[in-house]
Amino acid sequence: MAHLSLRNLSKRYDNNPPVIENLNLDIHDGEFMVFVGPSGCGKSTLMRMIAGLEEISAGELHIGGELANDTPPAERGVAMVFQSYALYPHMTVGENMGFALKLAGKSKQEVAQAVGRAAEILQISHLLERKPKALSGGQRQRVAIGRAIVRKPKVFLFDEPLSNLDASLRVQMRIELSKLHKELGTTMIYVTHDQVEAMTLGDRIAVFNQGRMEQLGAPLELYERPANQFVAGFLGSPKMNFVPCQLKDASSSEITLSVAGDNRLVLPSSHTIAARGDITLGVRPEHLHIVPLEQGFRARVDLLEHLGDAEIVYLELAGSEQPIAIKLPSGGHGLKQGDLVGLRPDAARAVLFGKQGQAIRLQ
Amino acid sequence: MSLSDPSTLALESTMDKAAPRRRKLRPWDWAPYVFISPFFILFAVFGVFPMLFSIYLSFHTWDPAAGLSAMRWVGIENYTFTLTDDWFQKSVFNTAWIAVVAGAPQHLIAIPLAFFLHTAFGRWRNAVVGFYFLPFITSSVAIALVFTTLFSRDYGVINQVLTQLGQLPVLEWIFPQQKIDWGQPEYTKWMISFVVFWRYVGWNTVLYLAAMQTIPKDLYEAATMDGAGKLQQFWHITVPMLKPMMFFAITLTIIGNLQLFEEPFIITGGTGGIDQAGKTAAMHMYNTAFMDGDFGTASAVAWLLFIAIALLTWVNNKIFAKSGMKD
Ligand SMILES: Nc1ncnc2c1ncn2[C@@H]1O[C@H](COP(=O)(O)OP(=O)(O)O)[C@@H](O)[C@H]1O
Ligand SMILES: [Mg+2]
Repeated sequence: MAHLSLRNLSKRYDNNPPVIENLNLDIHDGEFMVFVGPSGCGKSTLMRMIAGLEEISAGELHIGGELANDTPPAERGVAMVFQSYALYPHMTVGENMGFALKLAGKSKQEVAQAVGRAAEILQISHLLERKPKALSGGQRQRVAIGRAIVRKPKVFLFDEPLSNLDASLRVQMRIELSKLHKELGTTMIYVTHDQVEAMTLGDRIAVFNQGRMEQLGAPLELYERPANQFVAGFLGSPKMNFVPCQLKDASSSEITLSVAGDNRLVLPSSHTIAARGDITLGVRPEHLHIVPLEQGFRARVDLLEHLGDAEIVYLELAGSEQPIAIKLPSGGHGLKQGDLVGLRPDAARAVLFGKQGQAIRLQ
Repeated sequence: MSLSDPSTLALESTMDKAAPRRRKLRPWDWAPYVFISPFFILFAVFGVFPMLFSIYLSFHTWDPAAGLSAMRWVGIENYTFTLTDDWFQKSVFNTAWIAVVAGAPQHLIAIPLAFFLHTAFGRWRNAVVGFYFLPFITSSVAIALVFTTLFSRDYGVINQVLTQLGQLPVLEWIFPQQKIDWGQPEYTKWMISFVVFWRYVGWNTVLYLAAMQTIPKDLYEAATMDGAGKLQQFWHITVPMLKPMMFFAITLTIIGNLQLFEEPFIITGGTGGIDQAGKTAAMHMYNTAFMDGDFGTASAVAWLLFIAIALLTWVNNKIFAKSGMKD
């Protein structure tokens, strides 16, 4: 078990702009930390720096209180599960899992014992004699995790481990990973571009964008109090609605917005807001309600998506081309394409973003 | 057999209008066969026929100058004669000797060399590989001639260097003072083996390098995380992953070395060298046919050689299958 501490960590390849810039992050002992962000934002690079597969250009990496910048990968006490699984095709499952211990000079008996125990945890004891090519995707995934467990690492690293699995298996493995974390209690770092995985697995989530950490926090905290428009837009499905509007008037108890022409919206506010003029209103699809026409913004129904338990309605704000998505419980509302309806945001859950995308706190 | 694609039909209908008597000439019916026929004709004349004829021939004695009527059936006599022939046995021994001495190091050196090129060279890799590959695409006659000159007793560079080194203190214990006569039988096979090795090591390196480039990088990274150093990665990842290519490359080496002809032929001046020390089975076959004019026996030698190659390839296949090549 170990606590990780990243100090001003940077990575740049040759003369390109940095992939990771001045990152400061503490990962607690036993924590399940998720790095999430769009493809190409530098998540894998960061994880590979922690693993030792990628050199650290600047800054310090401490694992368990010790500077690990120049420690060889195998001696950092970290184990990595690759997206491709990276199982050795010519070795059996047992040999794959025991390879690290064999290299470390452990006796056959010790290796067999450690492999046996890990196989039991992952319920793959019956597969130990097989070669990887004779396994299903989910089984390979387990073996890859087993190979990491056998080494008894202080930190587990997962780089998009579930993205090669089909949807139902992905959900199942997600739950098992959660359980595994509870069972082992080891620090785990998990990279994904899938916000659902991030929300469901993480004790804390670090949201990355273009090599910078946009926000760090517990899943619900990020969901409810995003620090900026990027985080607000990245977490949640369907995406949060962003509506450009004008801030007309702000007092110490409420602010008035004009949305899409002459629609007015009054939001409660507990402190005075300095910003004026162009501003962005952010409302999640589940925080928009359908009301009689005269009580809200006018919008026309464009498309309906039935998810079974819920329905996503896509609309266009009247007077502008602004698309809006709302999420409603399934059935009963009787909406159809072309209907003109009133929309009213849940004032307490709405978020405002300034010109640079920073969130403006109302409460 | 008629073609029935739309263009044919269109052609047919225009023909109908022009010439009312249909089905007289339909060149498009046999045109495709005409166009692919050259290969089959050439293959039949120069491939299939000689092969079948040589089987037939191997059971006869024949002086080609006397015409086809001079062929005389002798049963398996050519085969029994060949198998008990001292010279043939010696040439088989030479072939095997050279095959092993020239063949084994090809692979023992090509694999680590390919690994080195793979890991140590970035942008220059292809240039370096090309350099190693050069001997392979050079005429073997030219190569053999160059090496004959290098190994020449009185003027050869190799003797010059060796005797120069032999003048130096300490080194005089190892290197010769006198010029060596590389034509002596104890050196012949070594010389041929060296040239063959030198020529094919680059070819094998290219094969292994190509195979190495298909090994996923992830495996090496996983091995690094598992604590494998460069050498251990070579043993535990690279070598096992190269097995299919090893099988292919070794098969090619077996086939090539058992048919070895040009290098020993040029180096020994076509004689096989003093005491036949450098005469390979293929040379024996050539000499039997074109020096002695005994085409029947030469055909028997050819087929015995074929059986040996097929057998060894089969054994090679078995060995690799057993060691898990097909995994
Ligand atoms: N070896 C490299 N040389 C140059 N740029 C690289 C290299 N590896 C990755 N990058 C760049 O670093 C960025 C981050 O890559 P990566 O960490 O793989 O993203 P992610 O895992 O978040 O999708 C990408 O823009 C990629 O182009
Ligand atoms: Mg990645």
